[in-house]
Amino acid sequence: MPLAWLAVFFVLPIAIVAGYSFDVYSLFPGPHGFTLSAWRAVAGDHVYLRLFWKSVKMSVIVSAVIVVLAYPLAYYLALSGTKRKYILLLLLIAPFLTSYLLRVLAWKVILGDQGVVNTFLFWTGLRSPDHPLSQLLYSKFAVMLVLGYIWLPFVALPIFVSLESLDRRLLEAASDLGASRLRSFWSITLPLSLPGVLAAFFFVFVPTLGEFVTPSLVGGATGYMYGNQIVDLFGTGFPDWETGSVLALFLIAVVAVLTVVFSRFLQPQQIAAD
Amino acid sequence: MDVALSKHGAWVLRAFFTLVVLFLYAPIVILLIFSFNSSEVPTFPLSGFTLHWYHEFLVNADLRDALKTSGIIAAVTSLGAVLLGVLSSIALVRRRFRGRAVVSALLLSPLVIPYVVFGISLLLLFHQLGVPRGVPTVVVGHIVISLPYTILVLVPRLQQIDATLEEAAYDLGASRLRTFRSITLPLILPAIVSAFLIAFTTSFDEYAVASFVVGTRATFPIYLYSALRFPSQLPQVIAVAVVVLVLSLTVIVAAEVGRRVVDRRVGA
Repeated sequence: MPLAWLAVFFVLPIAIVAGYSFDVYSLFPGPHGFTLSAWRAVAGDHVYLRLFWKSVKMSVIVSAVIVVLAYPLAYYLALSGTKRKYILLLLLIAPFLTSYLLRVLAWKVILGDQGVVNTFLFWTGLRSPDHPLSQLLYSKFAVMLVLGYIWLPFVALPIFVSLESLDRRLLEAASDLGASRLRSFWSITLPLSLPGVLAAFFFVFVPTLGEFVTPSLVGGATGYMYGNQIVDLFGTGFPDWETGSVLALFLIAVVAVLTVVFSRFLQPQQIAAD
Repeated sequence: MDVALSKHGAWVLRAFFTLVVLFLYAPIVILLIFSFNSSEVPTFPLSGFTLHWYHEFLVNADLRDALKTSGIIAAVTSLGAVLLGVLSSIALVRRRFRGRAVVSALLLSPLVIPYVVFGISLLLLFHQLGVPRGVPTVVVGHIVISLPYTILVLVPRLQQIDATLEEAAYDLGASRLRTFRSITLPLILPAIVSAFLIAFTTSFDEYAVASFVVGTRATFPIYLYSALRFPSQLPQVIAVAVVVLVLSLTVIVAAEVGRRVVDRRVGA
């Protein structure tokens, strides 16, 4: 029964998208049949490819930066021997479990021209009201900051799980044999926690690559991402479901390839609630 | 001597941890402060204390409707997702069948699908079938995306349970249903509660998929999204935001504490 549900409401819809991309289905009535023209058009149009590449770069930067930030947090929780590690972990992760849009809202309030940062600068006289820091909101920077903020608690989790399962005796052995802490870290801790690091990277990279909500709220023109393009092609302005379907399928294909490549590092349990 | 951290290193990491936690909570605290601020726009300096915005959203019928719609969708979604999740988890853990790896991959694959693509796929499906968009179509989509989360919570719990308990019940003549009701269900109940909460919160907060298949009704995230684009309603939205954030944090902490208490009592 669960399989039937997924077949009808998950696999079938994607097949229909494929149908649109090959023009087997069409939004407009009229004669149409199997054709690759929409695919050819997208492949020949540098706008889409460049936008995709830009989104890849943004997602890579966001994911890499927050993985690097989260690693010491997870290390502290897993290896410092603190007694309250689960309470501290919950403290770290709790914001992730609250509303996504509300956290975006908070940043909109903070970053706007009349927002908290700017009005605070005016108030303290550090900046004149005629010249607010206007690059804060509606920019690529804002999109990356907000995405990083949203996903940071989440990436700590898989890293924590992999560090926590590390056998401390390995470190003791290394220390007995005269290795410094730094040396132990490079030759033992880091390699053994690498699966967790890669899993963390993957689980942030994939959703940020297809992101469209955050860029549409704080991105402005420069923060426009591939996901926004897909949404706009299905929007009410100038709908082009064929091209949109091609872009959507291309995104799925990329994600599927990544999933296969990363699959030996992924243990889905790592992102279960505990 | 500690092999993982020097005293100095531990101090630096603790300071860093504290800083990051402050960074994570600062925006939420700022929302909290501005929800009590009397000015129409959230700017410094603060202009005075008021409960006006809380009153305002309590009497806002659109907002209450949106909250109710989301509540209904989340309730039905979590029931459906938990039901399907229990069925699939039992099949994955207790049965040995061909293609188990493929089935498990398919069940978990909604975890990685970009929501924009899934939302559009559903939109095209309902368009093709001629199904009108509305609350039921959102529920359909939300069940698909919360199903893998319920499985991730239920499978480890089922694996902990000794299968011989169920076999003993069969041997004593209990039917499958009876065995499930009196053996399996009570043992996995804590996991079912967690799965239910996760599915509920996932659905309640979901914007991307819902935005494609909801039609003209507004769910709470859709209401929020439009309010975010038109800032005149900002102060009330901030007040709602605070209420929802505080509520959800309370539920999360309560669920976690509750689960640990139950786990300890069961001795698992």
